[in-house]
Amino acid sequence: MAALVLPAGILVLLLLVAPLLLLFRISLNLFSPTEMMVEATTAANYFQAVQDPYYRQVLLTTLAVALGSTLLTLGLGFPAAYWLARMQGRAKSFFTILVIFPLLVGNVVRAAGWLALLGNGGAINAALLGLGIVAAPLPLLYNTGAVVAGIVAVVLPYMILTLSAVIEGIPRQAEEAAANLGAKPLAVFRRVVLPLALPGVVAGCVLVFVLCMNTYASAVLLGGPQFKMMAPAVYDQFVRGNNWPFGAALAFILLGFTLVLTVAGSAVLSRRYRR
Amino acid sequence: MIISRRATLAGAAIAAASAGLPGLARAQSKQAVVGTWGGDYGELLRQNIDVPMMQPQGIEILQDVANADPRKTKMLAERQARRGTMDVSCLSDTDMNMMAAQNTLETLDTSRLKRAGTIVQALRKPYAIPHIYSALVLLYNPDKVTTPPTSFADMWDPKYRGRVGFSDILYSTNTFAAAMAGGGGFSDYKPGQAKLMELRSLDAKVYPSNEALAAALKGEEVWMTPMWLARGFMWQKASIPLRHVVPSEGAYAIVFEAGIPKNSRSKDQAYAYLDAMLQPQAQTAFADRMGYLPTVTDATLPPEIAKQISLTEAEQARLRAPDYDYLLRAHGEILDFWNKQFKA
Repeated sequence: MAALVLPAGILVLLLLVAPLLLLFRISLNLFSPTEMMVEATTAANYFQAVQDPYYRQVLLTTLAVALGSTLLTLGLGFPAAYWLARMQGRAKSFFTILVIFPLLVGNVVRAAGWLALLGNGGAINAALLGLGIVAAPLPLLYNTGAVVAGIVAVVLPYMILTLSAVIEGIPRQAEEAAANLGAKPLAVFRRVVLPLALPGVVAGCVLVFVLCMNTYASAVLLGGPQFKMMAPAVYDQFVRGNNWPFGAALAFILLGFTLVLTVAGSAVLSRRYRR
Repeated sequence: MIISRRATLAGAAIAAASAGLPGLARAQSKQAVVGTWGGDYGELLRQNIDVPMMQPQGIEILQDVANADPRKTKMLAERQARRGTMDVSCLSDTDMNMMAAQNTLETLDTSRLKRAGTIVQALRKPYAIPHIYSALVLLYNPDKVTTPPTSFADMWDPKYRGRVGFSDILYSTNTFAAAMAGGGGFSDYKPGQAKLMELRSLDAKVYPSNEALAAALKGEEVWMTPMWLARGFMWQKASIPLRHVVPSEGAYAIVFEAGIPKNSRSKDQAYAYLDAMLQPQAQTAFADRMGYLPTVTDATLPPEIAKQISLTEAEQARLRAPDYDYLLRAHGEILDFWNKQFKA
């Protein structure tokens, strides 16, 4: 049986674990503007990143945007997932395809769509100006709101599909029994559906949170030059600054925070509802 | 599950075949990979060099399209490799100097370049050929900026509060413009920091790309920006209302160059490509469409275009290349200041 995981295992080892180890080694080196990288074994890059208020702010922005987007996605996704899960027959296949549909478009293309919608000369501003509602275009682009909107549109299908798969497994009779015993719809949701759907909520939130933490295209294209999240900051260090050691350290800080928060978050959620 | 001997052999055969294929393809026809920008630049290379000049020599050109930063990163990542993936790399002079300092570029053997003798003397380098060049100017909207500016310092006029725009990717030359306005120089960008902060309190705007800046200039959201003369020429052709001035503080030259990575696998083809880039007809095509000046002495421009993109003799005399060594050392600091202080 162990041989079944061999192909995937080798692939992960070669294409993920090995580069990660290499990257970790690079993060312990030192940067030199003339030689690029000087061999060393130091945690200086990590200290530098943690001590720099700029990168602390970038990390905070990333956490806030990721957390906010995850909660918003959960709020928007749960009702849709419930509705989809309780649907029958052809309509269900149709709407499932509809949910998957946005995933067929790449992140960058989707962001370009948002640009055409939210830009100063974009559809919304053109309509508002044309109708005489505003005198000057509204600054809809290059702010946190635009980034969150862009991210939520990207990750929503993942949340809906994960949740609906779990909700489908909750027998309808459980809800009917609760209602029969006098529970109001809200109580049915809170005491029956939500606890039973919790594995899906945890899985969906973890999946979405990880994607949000690593947002690149939406942050760069919709956030504009003044908005910084971790992934673009890592790219900046590697590609614009040629500072691989510091970029690698930032990448591991992002990885560490994402890992700790997802593990801790799912543990807390699971324990809370097990009672 | 047991992995059978037959399956293992089949797998090994497929792996061996696919690993051998690229090499096989390269052997059959002569190929060269050119690392270049996409858009107009890549298109002009294709129309004027790849197809009309290289194909008749039996050389197939594959463009590896990316922006300069990823291309530099790729060259650095591959520098230990015996066999690189690029045969010609196109970069700006500052970037090319940085790559030469990192030991990624072949020292050119001019005896293998038929056109070497025609290169403008001031633009010759041991590690790259100059392809096209332009100068950093101040672009302005003549309808809004009615008194024509003369210097970078005019961007700080409170009259133009909120009307100065920058392209984020040009952080280095933007800082240069600020440094010059603040009394700095080609080897001292430090005074630029205080000047940039001053401009920040005057609500200067930063756009993520040159294209976004062009849209803002077209929509008259901003009226002024430091930019390459050649870009200004293209934008004027796209009917964006613009004029340019070579600022009194200094004339900064940008040269787009092409070099051969040390680990190129087709050096002969790479030399042939560099030679083709120096041909007069290819050079004039770039001037005509993109507004860049030829780097060879025997390329003549149509007078109409020459008038728009050429510098006066006085301007030409003031034109200077950046201080590459200074930029190599100060680059990190310039980028950090731009990101952490100016844009924050």
